[in-house]
Amino acid sequence: MNRALIAGLIITLVMIAASFFGQYLAPNHLEDQVSVHYTVDANGQGTLVVPPVSPNAEYPFGTDKAGTDLMAKLIAGSKYTIIVSLAVAFARIFIGGIVGLLLGYFGKEKKSRAKRLPLWNVLNGIPMFIIVWMVMIGISINPVVSPVYLTIILAVVMTIVGIPSVASTIKDKTMVIREKQFIISARSIGAGPLTIIRTHIFPHMKESFIILFVQEIILILGLLGQLAIFNVFVGGTTMYFDPIEYVSRTNEWTGLIGQARSYLLIYQWILVIPLVTYIVFIFGFHLISVGLESIYKEKYSKVSHI
Amino acid sequence: MSKLFQVSLFVPGVLLIVFLFSMLPVVFQADPVNGALHFQWMNGFTKIGEYIDGIWTGQSFRYYAGSNELSFWEQIGNGIKVTSFYMVLGAVMGMTIGILLGVYFAVTRAEWFKRLLELTGALPDFIIVIVLQSIIVLVAMKTGWVIANVGSFNDNEPAILLPLLSTIIIPANYMIRNVALHMKHTFTEDYINFAKSRGLRKGYIIFRHALPNVLPFIKADLHKFMGILFGNLFIFEYLYNLHGVTLLVFTNAFGLKSYQYSLVVNGILTFLLLYAIVYLLLRLMILGWEKVLTR
Repeated sequence: MNRALIAGLIITLVMIAASFFGQYLAPNHLEDQVSVHYTVDANGQGTLVVPPVSPNAEYPFGTDKAGTDLMAKLIAGSKYTIIVSLAVAFARIFIGGIVGLLLGYFGKEKKSRAKRLPLWNVLNGIPMFIIVWMVMIGISINPVVSPVYLTIILAVVMTIVGIPSVASTIKDKTMVIREKQFIISARSIGAGPLTIIRTHIFPHMKESFIILFVQEIILILGLLGQLAIFNVFVGGTTMYFDPIEYVSRTNEWTGLIGQARSYLLIYQWILVIPLVTYIVFIFGFHLISVGLESIYKEKYSKVSHI
Repeated sequence: MSKLFQVSLFVPGVLLIVFLFSMLPVVFQADPVNGALHFQWMNGFTKIGEYIDGIWTGQSFRYYAGSNELSFWEQIGNGIKVTSFYMVLGAVMGMTIGILLGVYFAVTRAEWFKRLLELTGALPDFIIVIVLQSIIVLVAMKTGWVIANVGSFNDNEPAILLPLLSTIIIPANYMIRNVALHMKHTFTEDYINFAKSRGLRKGYIIFRHALPNVLPFIKADLHKFMGILFGNLFIFEYLYNLHGVTLLVFTNAFGLKSYQYSLVVNGILTFLLLYAIVYLLLRLMILGWEKVLTR
């Protein structure tokens, strides 16, 4: 165990716990809204309270323009962020892993990257979020379906788009391991391909799978954020006309960032607080990944001569 | 497959992919009543047909910006100028800084700086843009000194410093980590140990023995580097409001009337053309590095 791994685990576990149990502890609920009101204190000093309210004792994270507590919004939206990122990462690793293991074991020697069809290289130039955006934009503005249903569609699209890269990473690693002597000896005593993959190759790749899983979570969180910048939010976007405004239906974190993008110059907390929460969440997973990698490195790597 | 066959397949292949890709928003449609998902393939193929017909009449090269009909050829020139300015500078500077700092990071023991670099590498590009903008706003609020524009509000005062900074930082960060990783790996090889035992200087070993063996990895990862550079382009043109190629497509893709298929196709083709040019430029640069290092 090392410090980075423990710190990362603590951060992510605390945030996940806050997401699922926070609503019982939070001071305000999603339904309570601050309305415009005028109060007079003991000295006769009057104050006019108009949302958005800046962070104070009653509203630790402040409120948004409609007067809803930002903490309540973050707690409500966090379930979507956390479940979607974990589920999509798991699906990508599971399906991509199986495909990669099979391709790596049965596949031919891989061609060097320069010799591959240049067509695939061109596809690399089109970023992944643009592909997902093109699919989702037609169905996620002012949708009729429920947020959960739309979230599932988005999750499926993100899974499909991410499988090839996972599969090719796993395939490359499998190809290195299948040349090892213990694989040849297993084959010579008559073990079938599936047995070899399950009992000889997979156990050697457990660390790679775990690290890849954590890194995929980080990538997916980034992808959600990029989509949100272009107004495709998890669970759908409500678009108001006159003035044109995009609002997340689920209060998912990246949606909160995306819809608050214009609060850069005034009422900054509406943008900064979801942004910080999101960065801390990514930071937690990043620490886990760094910690796991250092354990792995200590076990296997050679020593530098310089 | 012969080389000739591959090359002859390349252009139609790219065209086909762009055609199919651009029709995605009209193919995936939700039913307005019950929200069921429909795949309207016919819609998509009609769009392709219209585009091909429109090439001869010129209709495929006109689009609506708001309610004005504009010519694609007249508008794209400025976009290409803006986009290529940032992409060429980002690619060249990002790669040079990336390689040099990557070498430095492979030998240095400044751990905290490496940690910081790894963390910024894990953060998505738009976060870095927003954080840069927030820093400018924060400094301006505290001291009243606006270091740089946080975005282009009009064409007379374009934001230059921040876009340039983000177009260099993000790909350079990837390059630094990549070079440092391969460099460290190369340092474990036996020929480095041998060179050291012959009494060669450290700098000589690094630049003459190790770096030439790292350059092939950089060449192989060039498309990934380009992917990061160009993926970032979409984000920062949008966030800084720079009137480049991708912003032209994004702001007008859903015009007043409907989805403008021909504009998206033209825009993506322009984008791929720029991609090819910058790619060739970088290959040339790596060739130059190789010639200098192995002279």
